[in-house]
Amino acid sequence: MATNDVNLADRSGNLVESYKGYDPRIILFYFLIFALLLTLAIGLGYQQLSKTNEYAVAEKRQNQRRILVPGPRGYIYDREGRLLVGNRARFSVRLLLDEIRPEILREFRLIRNNYRAVNDKDIPTSREIWRIARVSVVQRYLDEVNRILLRQEKVNSGELDRHFNRELLLPFTLIDDLEPTEYARLLERLPVNSPASVYTFSTRYYPYGSAAAHTLGYVGTTDDVTIEDFPGDELRTFKMKGTMGRDGIEKQYDAVLQGEAGGMIFRVDPSGNRINPPIQQVFPRQGSNVTLSLDIDLQLAAEQALTYTEMAGAAVALEVATGEVLVLVSKPDYDLSQFAPRLSHAAAADMTERGAWMNRATQGTYLPGSSFKILTTLAGFRSGILTPESRAVCNGVYVLGRATFDCHDRHAHGDIGLETAIERSCNVFFYEYGREIGVDAIASEARRFHLDRPTGIDLPNETHAMVIPDPAWKRRERPDDGPWSGGNTLHLAIGQGYLTVTPLQMAAFTASVARGEVWTQPTLLHQPGRPAQRTEPIGLTPAQREALLNGMERVTGPHGTARILQSGLRGLPPLTGLRIAAKTGTAQKYSPKGMINFAWLIAFAPVENPQIAIAVAIEGDVPGEETGGGLYASPVVHAILKTWLEKRKGSPARITTG
Amino acid sequence: MPFKRFDQARPFVTLGVAVAAWAILPGALKSFTRATFFELTAPISIVASHVGDLQEYWALRLHSKHELIRAGTELARLNASYQVAVQQTNELRAEIDRLESLLRLPSFTQYRYEHARVARRDFSGWWQRIVIRKGRNYGIPLGAPVIFSGGVVGRVTEVHAATSVVELISSPNVRLAGVVEGDVLGRPISFQGGVNPTFAPPTGIVEFVPLDVIASPTSTKRLVTSGLGGVFPPGLTLGTITVARIASDGLFKTGEVKLDERLGSLTEVTVLVPLATE
Repeated sequence: MATNDVNLADRSGNLVESYKGYDPRIILFYFLIFALLLTLAIGLGYQQLSKTNEYAVAEKRQNQRRILVPGPRGYIYDREGRLLVGNRARFSVRLLLDEIRPEILREFRLIRNNYRAVNDKDIPTSREIWRIARVSVVQRYLDEVNRILLRQEKVNSGELDRHFNRELLLPFTLIDDLEPTEYARLLERLPVNSPASVYTFSTRYYPYGSAAAHTLGYVGTTDDVTIEDFPGDELRTFKMKGTMGRDGIEKQYDAVLQGEAGGMIFRVDPSGNRINPPIQQVFPRQGSNVTLSLDIDLQLAAEQALTYTEMAGAAVALEVATGEVLVLVSKPDYDLSQFAPRLSHAAAADMTERGAWMNRATQGTYLPGSSFKILTTLAGFRSGILTPESRAVCNGVYVLGRATFDCHDRHAHGDIGLETAIERSCNVFFYEYGREIGVDAIASEARRFHLDRPTGIDLPNETHAMVIPDPAWKRRERPDDGPWSGGNTLHLAIGQGYLTVTPLQMAAFTASVARGEVWTQPTLLHQPGRPAQRTEPIGLTPAQREALLNGMERVTGPHGTARILQSGLRGLPPLTGLRIAAKTGTAQKYSPKGMINFAWLIAFAPVENPQIAIAVAIEGDVPGEETGGGLYASPVVHAILKTWLEKRKGSPARITTG
Repeated sequence: MPFKRFDQARPFVTLGVAVAAWAILPGALKSFTRATFFELTAPISIVASHVGDLQEYWALRLHSKHELIRAGTELARLNASYQVAVQQTNELRAEIDRLESLLRLPSFTQYRYEHARVARRDFSGWWQRIVIRKGRNYGIPLGAPVIFSGGVVGRVTEVHAATSVVELISSPNVRLAGVVEGDVLGRPISFQGGVNPTFAPPTGIVEFVPLDVIASPTSTKRLVTSGLGGVFPPGLTLGTITVARIASDGLFKTGEVKLDERLGSLTEVTVLVPLATE
């Protein structure tokens, strides 16, 4: 043992040790070391070969972040290529939160030390100090922006917290409604490398303000931004807010208008801060454009005329041959620019109070009044009960059992024929023949004209609440009102009672009558050279059709109920050279405030070659006030036809957008 | 043996100590050191600049009298044309003043013009800046716009006792609001210096260019200052937009701007000192 110690001592002085001989005891260690190395090698192989993908994904998750940016929406044009909805840039000043984290840390320490220095017993929790520090630093940057822009903006701490915790990689918006001059000032006065910088984002732009508001619809923000064929589904993803159609065409054709999102994948440091440039990037792409069948000149003319009445209502004009919608107005409406970038609570409350949300053209159900007499006439012709030569004596009232039914203002029209009955809208004539025709024939004819169902126009939320009543409907829906009565049939014949339709349905009905067919499918998409619609013919003889059209044309004549269309009354110039077929309607409805009138006018022109069909409905707003279709709805139809005629003659319409 | 090893490592240890000492020095002291260093070395730049001027002077002295007479004649012609231009400018200015007073429009910010000689130029891939021979001694303020006969030069980024540093508009650190000449709507465009390699002609980039602005190398658009930013007066030339392509968002175009090549060889510039700040 002593010998060994000596040898070891000798050897310890040498820099190079050497073993001479063979020590069998060391073999055990060889095995041991080999076993350990083998274990390590197997472990390494297992980790490197079998779990490579798992670790690669975990690594990506840890050090990569994905940002999705929505693509701009497509534009919406009218049938002549005029921009109805576009995109406009809005400038904002935003702050990159991940770049101010060191500053926030310093601020946190400063605040904490200050509390400690004054030995404050109510020292906030660490979490609260973090919040204070964040707000303090962000407000400092906002103050700098305020100083440049002479503003007094304050940081919303709740919004900042939410953004900081959930969307750290996305810039925090300090101000999002910069004027061009403000944006220019910030460009020059903010340091280039400042975390606060000017950004731009796309927002909807409406060159015609509130025109066609209900038809065009509006968009809202959404977090649902998706991207196809872009890697990184497994990564933590931040999404910039996108837009989604909430109503009107924006909603109906959202899939078409919606742009394709772009994406970026960034590497981040352990604190989550972005490292530029991105590893992968795909630029967003703008959505497709949509061309509507609307004619903005006609639309504006109709809106101005309807606004002039100062009442709620709707107007629809269709191209007779194709069913393309030329005009679709609903009043009251709203200014679409109020929705960009977001609708304020005050504006929303105002719209609710005015009833502006509702699209009365497609969602408003009204009694059609005397405009329905055209359908009663058709039902009479087809049942053989009514002929072009049919006559009746109007004494101002019609007696059925113990009940009396008035003609218009109890006015006695005397012995009149069909054409005069239509011209002067004689109720008694239609009471008498309507009773003979019967409820089943009238309701059946109404269904043949699709008045019992939505038109299927390419707009969302079209109402299903229209009613074509018959005995079965009354038994089912109004059991408390007793069985169907003769009086119900009389009311149905003149468009009163339980009957309700939408202005759009009546426009489609008018276009169908003009074409001599039973159905017109309205559509809002413009297709140049679209073929004329062909549906089932009404089945009138030439004499029947002539009588019907004569009667309707006489409505706009000197004794007709819509005579102001052509007579030059009320400052409306005659539409010289244009033969118009029309039918007025004034329906009454009992409301809690009293009896309200609905004014109707349906029309098409030119009679000899129908090209445009119109339906206008106006809600009376004063109980008991006479809101006649001839007086109130005619100016709207006149405005549309005047503009249409001017454009047809090649004289461009001069409409101001107000 | 251990002593020998330490001797070998001594330079590294010294460097490490120096770095550590610099790292722990207070920020104020560091700033002071940097400023002091600049002030100490500034005379070298100034002297070098003066020597350059002297060298130029003697070089000119070597020219023949004929050459000098010809140059003098050309200069006289140039002066005559400038005098006419000055007269026209004065007339226009009077007219503008008259119209402004009629319309009761506020006048643009007034400036004092401080002409300065360029002492040093750093025109490389790293820096795009010049040092001028005027500083606090002439009341040059930080951020003041600097111009020359070709348009905008840049902004003052550092002011020292007798010198100032001007960041050129070809530098990515300079950004300002421009407008396409003749745009009646006056829509502001973001101009920023580009990444300019050494010896390459200076360029910049523009963003937020309206979609109706069409520019190509054969049909360029002149970019001038908008005056909206409040730093530069309107109408000063920035460069010419040679390329404008639609940006990814579809809302605007982005493009490239060719800057005046004389930026790399400036000898005289003018600092616009806002009178309101004085």
